[in-house]
Amino acid sequence: METALDLSRCREPLRGVVYRRWVIASTGLRQLFRGRFFVILLIVAWTTSLVMAAGGFVFSQTVVTGGWLEEGAKSLGVRAEALASAIGALVLLYPDICVRGLFMWMFWVQSYVGLGLSLIALTVLVPRLVARDRAGNALIIYLSRPLTSLDYLLGKLGTVAGLLVLLWTGPLLLGWLLSMLFAPNSDFFVYSLEPLLRALMFNGICLVVLATVALGVSALTRSSRTTIVLWMFLWIFMWGLGNGHRAPDWLRHSSLMLNISEVRASTLRLDAVFVDAAEKLPLIDQRVVENLRRSGEETSAKNLPGAVQALAGFVVLSSVVFLRKLRPE
Amino acid sequence: MLDRSNSRRLTRSLVLVNDSPRSSSDTALSSTESGDCVIEAENLTKVYGGGTRALDNVSLRVPPGTIGLLGPNGAGKSTFIKCLLNLEPPTSGRARVLGRDIRTSNRESREKVGYSPEQDSHIPGMAGCEYVTYCGQLSGLSFKQARQRAHEILDLVGMGQERYRKIDTYSTGMKQRAKLAQALVHDPEIVFLDEPTNGLDPAGREYFLRLIGSLHRQLGISVVISSHLLNDIERICDRVIIIANGRVLEHDSLENLKNRHRRIVEVAPSGEAERFAAALLEAGYVFERRSNGRLRIESPEDSVEWLLELMRKHRLPPGEIVANPNALHELFLRALATDHGNRA
Repeated sequence: METALDLSRCREPLRGVVYRRWVIASTGLRQLFRGRFFVILLIVAWTTSLVMAAGGFVFSQTVVTGGWLEEGAKSLGVRAEALASAIGALVLLYPDICVRGLFMWMFWVQSYVGLGLSLIALTVLVPRLVARDRAGNALIIYLSRPLTSLDYLLGKLGTVAGLLVLLWTGPLLLGWLLSMLFAPNSDFFVYSLEPLLRALMFNGICLVVLATVALGVSALTRSSRTTIVLWMFLWIFMWGLGNGHRAPDWLRHSSLMLNISEVRASTLRLDAVFVDAAEKLPLIDQRVVENLRRSGEETSAKNLPGAVQALAGFVVLSSVVFLRKLRPE
Repeated sequence: MLDRSNSRRLTRSLVLVNDSPRSSSDTALSSTESGDCVIEAENLTKVYGGGTRALDNVSLRVPPGTIGLLGPNGAGKSTFIKCLLNLEPPTSGRARVLGRDIRTSNRESREKVGYSPEQDSHIPGMAGCEYVTYCGQLSGLSFKQARQRAHEILDLVGMGQERYRKIDTYSTGMKQRAKLAQALVHDPEIVFLDEPTNGLDPAGREYFLRLIGSLHRQLGISVVISSHLLNDIERICDRVIIIANGRVLEHDSLENLKNRHRRIVEVAPSGEAERFAAALLEAGYVFERRSNGRLRIESPEDSVEWLLELMRKHRLPPGEIVANPNALHELFLRALATDHGNRA
């Protein structure tokens, strides 16, 4: 029995800790996207960005002077032509309401799609974060290398962050960028920036909350099945309980979904768009004004401080669980 | 001019052949200067919750080589290794691995260290070669280099096409091979192997022992091997540390330890055992008869010349002579007994 080993290749200096963290994060993602299920999720997520871009394109090409709406209205008579001109003028006079409103609404819808897809993906990912490493005693393999528990934590956070970027942030940015490519004037860029930044802020908040809670849940048990059940309990069951009409405040705030909805409402401020539209646009029909005001009220945040406190509690609790469980067994 | 570690990397290659006697001349260069210690511990203590002292003021300096870590169950062997790797933070005391303080240089102290734990440790869902490559990357190798090394090391540990199978489906022996491979993939200067031959079939165990024995001799990788199997330790190690109740009872080269051991010669007479016994009695030697017919004699000196002379004088038939049989075993038991006596 003779085996030869040529070790002459190991000449490169070892790479630093940032690279090692990146290896943990990227390997986690690579493993994930081997499955067809995740590829489908990716396709759905990036299709939404195309839909967003198409929406922005259609809107801009419709309302711009000499656009589709004006051209089409000409064939319908003077009355339709006047109406189309009025709509075009509204966009021209109130870009802060019309353009901002359009993008705010698109990002609002996209936040539901992004969050939904991320939650579905995380349901499958959560057991793979820490639970399976604990089950396979893999923590000892990580921590016996030049890595600390903080490096492991950052690597795993990187996996979750990468997933959310691919399913949520990426499509959001691409949708906006494509919309800007076909925008007829700079108003679209200027007035879509605020909605974009708000959407990114909401995205960032969700990223922190989702990543921490996912790691906490994943570290809680070694069994993949139990981890999935816990995750679904936290999201779906608690949402069901908190959503009841007579649910007290503490029960409402024990639902991650309801807290995130509150944060969405106060970050994206769709209510402000409705109220602005109702107050500033020269609308003759008072029913439209009333409807806009009512929509503004319905979409406004009800108890933001409570939601923020509850989310902070979830983050702290998850971190404690994660850091306590992150020891080789 | 090449520095030592570079010259070691450029020139070294390992060919596993039959065991050959160790000599200082064929020992490969280590990046640590000869005479330097690979492990230094100073009053290293580990107390678990509940007051259990797993390590009790362990102080030692271990030079490069193949070092056997012996001790009964619960002696503190694994805790000692885990403390050196910072997997278990020591309660007090200091330790340096390859000259780096495990507390102040936490990450750096493990850069050139490999570890194969006792229990199954793998990342579920990965194939064998993918797992070893990943471990190489975690130690800082680029993907290309890690993959290349992974295949070489997997060849070395005797893993064939199984490397493409998911590690979850491996037998215990295959998992041991994968564990050893991940410990070696990043070209460490010292590896800690905790019960590495557990679950291996006889052929695999034999192969593993030869491989582990060659690591320092041919590659300059120091090995700390923790095992209950005294024969394995005796065969491949040049230094032994005996631990019990969290304390180091013995630490010396195997040769010195054997010299300190009471000299015993075992003779298996091919015939006329009674005449053999009578001759020994007459010459005044202390001996005992063993159930397998052998005579166990306390030897007055290191060589067995006196016994050959006795056989010649009394015209005794030739027989098998074994000097210092089970020396490590006896030494181990004696160390434990002494410790027990001291504690009592």
